[in-house]
Amino acid sequence: MDLIKKLHEIVGIDRATTSPMQLYCYSSDSSQIRGTPECVVRPQNTGQVSQVLRFANEHDIPVTARGAGTGLAGGAVALEGGIVLDLSGMDRILDIDINNLQVAVEPGVIHSRLNEVLGTEGFFFPPDPGSSEMCTLGGLIANNGSGMRSVKYGTTRSYVLDLEIVMADGSVINTGSKTLKSSAGYDLTRLMVGSEGTLGIITKAVLKILPLPKARTVVLASFDNPVLAGEAVVKTLSAGVIPSACEILDRATVEVLNAYDPNIAIPDAGATILFELDGTVSSVKEQAKIVEAVCMPFASGIRIAAGGEEMKEIWSARRLVGAAISRIDPNKTRVYVGEDIGVPIKEVPRMLKFIQSISGEFGLPIITYGHIGDGNLHTGMCIDMLDNEQWKQLDLAADKIHRTAIMLGGTVSAEHGIGSARSKYMRLERGNALDVMILIKRALDPRGILNPGKLGL
Amino acid sequence: MLDLDLRSILKCVRCGACRSVCPVLEEVGWESAGARGRILVAHGISQGLDVDADVLESLNTCMTCGMCKQMCPAGANPTYVIENTRRQLVMRGEMTEAQRKLNERIMESGNSLGEVSDRRSWLSEYKGEIKETAGYVYFVGCLGAYRYPESVVATFDVLSRFDVTILPDEICCGSPLIRTGFDVDELIAHNIEQMRKVGAHTFITSCAGCHNTLIQSYPDEFEVMHVSEFLEQHLPELQLRRLKLTVTYHDACHLGRCRGVFDAPRRVIEAVCDLKEMKTNRENARCCGGGGGVRTGYPDLSLALAKKRLEEIPDGVDYLITSCPLCTKNLIEGGSDTDVLDLVELVRLAIE
Ligand SMILES: Cc1cc2nc3c(=O)[nH]c(=O)nc-3n(C[C@H](O)[C@H](O)[C@H](O)COP(=O)(O)OP(=O)(O)OC[C@H]3O[C@@H](n4cnc5c(N)ncnc54)[C@H](O)[C@@H]3O)c2cc1C
Ligand code: SF4
Ligand code: SF4
Repeated sequence: MDLIKKLHEIVGIDRATTSPMQLYCYSSDSSQIRGTPECVVRPQNTGQVSQVLRFANEHDIPVTARGAGTGLAGGAVALEGGIVLDLSGMDRILDIDINNLQVAVEPGVIHSRLNEVLGTEGFFFPPDPGSSEMCTLGGLIANNGSGMRSVKYGTTRSYVLDLEIVMADGSVINTGSKTLKSSAGYDLTRLMVGSEGTLGIITKAVLKILPLPKARTVVLASFDNPVLAGEAVVKTLSAGVIPSACEILDRATVEVLNAYDPNIAIPDAGATILFELDGTVSSVKEQAKIVEAVCMPFASGIRIAAGGEEMKEIWSARRLVGAAISRIDPNKTRVYVGEDIGVPIKEVPRMLKFIQSISGEFGLPIITYGHIGDGNLHTGMCIDMLDNEQWKQLDLAADKIHRTAIMLGGTVSAEHGIGSARSKYMRLERGNALDVMILIKRALDPRGILNPGKLGL
Repeated sequence: MLDLDLRSILKCVRCGACRSVCPVLEEVGWESAGARGRILVAHGISQGLDVDADVLESLNTCMTCGMCKQMCPAGANPTYVIENTRRQLVMRGEMTEAQRKLNERIMESGNSLGEVSDRRSWLSEYKGEIKETAGYVYFVGCLGAYRYPESVVATFDVLSRFDVTILPDEICCGSPLIRTGFDVDELIAHNIEQMRKVGAHTFITSCAGCHNTLIQSYPDEFEVMHVSEFLEQHLPELQLRRLKLTVTYHDACHLGRCRGVFDAPRRVIEAVCDLKEMKTNRENARCCGGGGGVRTGYPDLSLALAKKRLEEIPDGVDYLITSCPLCTKNLIEGGSDTDVLDLVELVRLAIE
């Protein structure tokens, strides 16, 4: 049967297309991975998703889920054609259940919108990605994303209580329950979180929420070099302070931040650490004192942010700094590759040294920033997109960064996901655990229609 | 051969941050309706993507409101990419019927509405004198001249108390054509010649589109001021009385976000009555839905966006004040429950 005709029957004429222009717009996300689907569908409810999947499964048509397409690993890119399911239009907040500390959402809800709404009730959903203003909760869950606050609050996985999933054959299951804990059988919720659309399509999520802390403050500490900064962080954590965010910015990142928002005047230094501390007014003060005392021997300068406005500005600029580094040179563009490694916290200083030497080896300036408190480093490289030689060097540098992280006992992706950009490292990083993943994939999606070509499966 | 300026296209890192601000994307939903999508379309064309009706729709449904440009962390300039791509396609003869007609209309009639009547017929309601030479010229604009004669009369009535006149033979500034991809050298040359005849050094505009275009596309020879800036400078001489009114103010994109004129209209308003801000204002003000050729090419979309803007009017205001006739028109046609009034008409109420 004619694919587009069937899709029009399911979702209506305006919500499925084969227009080459539309297909081109859906052929990439924020990564360098490309793949053109045969059609794009924008379903409005679980029933439609289920019908699309049942049809696709019967006819062996690949289906790739997509939220906002801000993923950095090609997760939402259709590598083998077929259907892209754009879920951004399923964007209702279904229920805010403060008494049960949870919310129910559709997958297309934008992260920041959820927190805006929750904020008016004095609550928040803690995972805090830089892409908060544009990424969907479906994408965040599918990637097990996180962000600046994961050092204290953990990743998305810790906050998902229940998922409504449309399975490959179109059947609909619920993976969890409304209770805050459950011992009933395999933890399918945790399996689905981070599965990047390879095991099922998320059509609804119940998420745990927390009360907003009463107070927050930011301590800015400057260091002569990133290695000293790394040591100060390790010492701070072992002194018993768990900051709600702990971000490293190298010299170039600070330059970019100050240029992007001139109101932010972070002092020039070899490296800067932003410690955010939250809690009650008194506990925040106490933690800030400890941070200052611990960092003092390593730091060249320490100050506390002036107040709420300054903190807000610092964080909103920091969130998008990854893209803002493109501003350094008008002829260069930030390319997201090798940008999301994680290493054990103790190895952060060593990893930073390796990054410096990789930068020298390939003649590419590498800007480093990231969630140093949980060992997650983002390396940013800009190249002249019209220069093939620079592309080659870029790929070689990214490859070395990934292999070095694995060698240090780390991961090639701490929060952005594997997609197809990093799938070739799955065997190296996961060993024979990958075989178990392959078995799970076969059991749940025997015809292999869900997001084929991803995760090294 | 199209000159799509690949470097400016490649400046987009595809981060998608602009998804959070584009009002058209919010309304339409498809990736192609946002800044990232439109830049992708431009990139596609450079790679051989066929220019069909869908491609033109993606490019032409941009209101050039500049929200994306303002927020783009990477320093890309989506509005430039979109306008340049429209222009390159027009040069190759690829355009929509609406674009073709608009161009014909303006080139034949000298105004964006295709009116054949006298552009200065509003003068029949104007009682004062017209100076032959003056330092300042009130550039009336097409929409004002033909659709809002009362507000043009009010404006000239106030301005003509100073060293201000009008052009003997003003024609369209070219804004609608530049936004939709056409060259307007003839129109520019004509208006400049008129300026020289009058001996003026400064244009005074009362339309955001004219304002932006006279600054961006006309030679530096002339200064450009918005009428709110001129009035702000002359507040003491105007001896305005205070009105018992509370109003709200809609920032026109091409005046505010694009040209930074935020304070002058507010100071003028506050000199005569109370001001209560709209939900989004100044740099973050939502577009009225009319810009970039969207009003002409996609009226349904344009009115849907106008309705969204109208939802942002605060409670308890007597008027929605605008500083651009295109915004006025779109907000009225979008079904405003609050009366829409041009800034200078408000000032006129405080003079009488
Ligand atoms: C500037 C910038 C900053 C970023 N900062 C961070 C950060 O700090 N932390 C972080 O974790 N990430 C970050 N990211 C990466 C990205 O934004 C996140 O991975 C985000 O969660 C992806 O959401 P999305 O809606 O864009 O998903 P998409 O990119 O559309 O999809 C991502 C994956 O999820 C799958 N998927 C999407 N929706 C569903 C669904 N409903 N059901 C099943 N599978 C689905 C897709 O198939 C794909 O595999 C950043 C990206 C950018 C561009
Ligand atoms: S235009 Fe700017 S904000 Fe939008 S996707 Fe491109 S780089 Fe990001
Ligand atoms: S200029 Fe406005 S309408 Fe056009 S893409 Fe940017 S935000 Fe959207």
